[in-house]
Amino acid sequence: MAASVRLLLRRAIRLSHGNTNVTAAETAGRSGRRLAPSTCRCFGDAAGDRSTHFGFETVPEAEKAKKVYKVFENVAHHYDTMNDAMSLGIHRLWKDALLHAMHPQPGAQLLDVAGGTGDIAFRFLEYVRSQRERQRRRAARTVQTPSWRDISSSYSSSEEDGEEAGPRESGAVVCDINKEMLKVGKRRADSAGVTAGLSWVAGDAEKLPFDDDQFDIYTVAFGIRNVTHIDQALKEALRVLKPGGRFMCLEFSKVTNPVLARLYDAYSFNVIPALGEVIAADWKSYQYLVESIRKFPDQEEFKIMIEDAGFFCVKYYNLTGGVVALHSGFKL
Amino acid sequence: MRPESNERAFYFEGDSLAVARRFAVCCFAESRLSDAAAPRREKQRAAQRNMAALLRGLRAGRALRGLARAVAAPTAPNPQSGSLSRGFHRAALRLQDESKSDKPPSSSSSSSTTYHEHGHRADEDPAGAPRDAAGEASRPNTSYQDQAGDQGEEYETEEQLQARVLTAALEFVPLHGWSLDAVAAAAETLGLSSASTGMFHNGAGDLVLHFVAQCNAQLTETLAEQHNRVQLGQAEPKKTADFLRDAVETRLRMHIPYIESWPQAMSILLLPHNIPESLKHLSTLVDDMWYYAGDRSTDMNWYTKRAALTGIYNTTELVMLQDSSPDFLDTWNFLDNRIQDVVKMGAAAKQAQATGETVVQGLMGAAVTLKNLTGLNQRR
Repeated sequence: MAASVRLLLRRAIRLSHGNTNVTAAETAGRSGRRLAPSTCRCFGDAAGDRSTHFGFETVPEAEKAKKVYKVFENVAHHYDTMNDAMSLGIHRLWKDALLHAMHPQPGAQLLDVAGGTGDIAFRFLEYVRSQRERQRRRAARTVQTPSWRDISSSYSSSEEDGEEAGPRESGAVVCDINKEMLKVGKRRADSAGVTAGLSWVAGDAEKLPFDDDQFDIYTVAFGIRNVTHIDQALKEALRVLKPGGRFMCLEFSKVTNPVLARLYDAYSFNVIPALGEVIAADWKSYQYLVESIRKFPDQEEFKIMIEDAGFFCVKYYNLTGGVVALHSGFKL
Repeated sequence: MRPESNERAFYFEGDSLAVARRFAVCCFAESRLSDAAAPRREKQRAAQRNMAALLRGLRAGRALRGLARAVAAPTAPNPQSGSLSRGFHRAALRLQDESKSDKPPSSSSSSSTTYHEHGHRADEDPAGAPRDAAGEASRPNTSYQDQAGDQGEEYETEEQLQARVLTAALEFVPLHGWSLDAVAAAAETLGLSSASTGMFHNGAGDLVLHFVAQCNAQLTETLAEQHNRVQLGQAEPKKTADFLRDAVETRLRMHIPYIESWPQAMSILLLPHNIPESLKHLSTLVDDMWYYAGDRSTDMNWYTKRAALTGIYNTTELVMLQDSSPDFLDTWNFLDNRIQDVVKMGAAAKQAQATGETVVQGLMGAAVTLKNLTGLNQRR
């Protein structure tokens, strides 16, 4: 019942596309107690005095961005270690699953928003490189006895290899609002020796510093719940994607199994902040992290939000029983 | 035995009715001449029961035979013969045709995109979508409606777009094989990013199944056209064997542009998760061929005929893969021979049955004679 009311409201809002309707919906929403608080706050107040959630607290919208920035500034240096500790290393599998679902074709341009330390971007470059290798090996196998024409063309192409290795070179752009996270990422890239095709840009997900129709794939891994206006971020994603481009979002979500949900809650609220205190000397940031997960809309709701932003063929996959959900949509 | 000619149809219809008739006569004769060891009334009652059952069977058999005779003539369908079943069959097939060529907008108006809806519709639509793709210049804006779906701005549905991409991908198959690389190349020619290949969860399977559906739709169109021409009297009706031969040849010739990579496509079709789909396509193909060949059978023959044609089609396809003769002459010869085999087998089966009947009659006669001789049939 609540779901259908929510759906109706969304449809009404989308059809009119006007601010006036937003307020009408919002008042209707406020009066209907059944609506989740997050949807109310997404549409916000008519003017100025907007408030949103920061974990389980309520803060003015203008402040949320600053507070989130502070959180990630604090955790940046221990980010990767904490990831491994909190998820027992499973976050690597989640990110691998994202890449596998993405299956990027050679020549694809990736934009990794809230990419911070660059996990997705590194994996993307690795994937594309191995794909290229496989392609080259396959090509070599089929042409075991090259004709003189093939040999001469391979001579000429090896000269221009620097400019154009293959039809198009893939590239990844890591965009993050937080300069500390980008610094950590750059350091990782340098130590791993990955430089070609990778760039680091500081930017806000709600207002990306890129032109329209630039990228083939837009990913956001565990970052979109920290954005103040998620629908704005989705609209920006739609803008910078090429037609046919793919939006992929990896995010914590609602666990479907009730037994697992209990365990997960207990683990989240008790173990994770404690780990944060021990490893990073920061209880509050990890408290925020766990609370922000609870505040994020669940799989179906997020899917509807993505569809509302204008994406097609939206679907989601639950990983680890719903702990993490991978949403995917296309700009058609 | 039957007045109609045998070369019209080589279906394996049995003349079980004649056997039943003879058996009834024998039983009746036997009961007449049986002796009075058991009380006469009981014997009579038993005999009557037998007769009633046999007569019922005979009547049903006669009705069936009437039907069969009526539908055996493909050119002049007899409207009088209790053609309920035939009408239903044709209506069902027409529905099937319609559903295949149904304009996608009406079928996919509810766009709310769940995965299963997509997988299902994407399979139904490709048959109709190629026609949409062909008439692209005059693309109907039928989906430009403010429905509950999200596609007010789109001039075509997602399924139509997917079908368009897959059709375009067929051009790149000789270069990239049946794989997502071909689809990616096609997407780029259509102005979409290569990331849109993520829409096809079955990967190469989607491409191959789309191609198979497209070919089947083309064949059905051709057969329907031929049928219409025959109906209008513009063309001579072909014999069933020739008709089927031409239909299979037409269908297999559609593979010729991709014959180099067709083994890869066949192996993709045989992957376990693709088998239900590919079997469905194969069965509808064979069913269509038989339907346009004029088969209206409603008994075991329906299954045997389709099984036979499936066997012929599959083996001919395999032969075609390794055929290197000019214009695949060897394949068509093979096809001819297989069809002749089935025709001969049909005739042989009928002969064997006729012989069997005669033998049975002879034995029955001998048995009655013996009984008479030994005096068992007398009633004293």
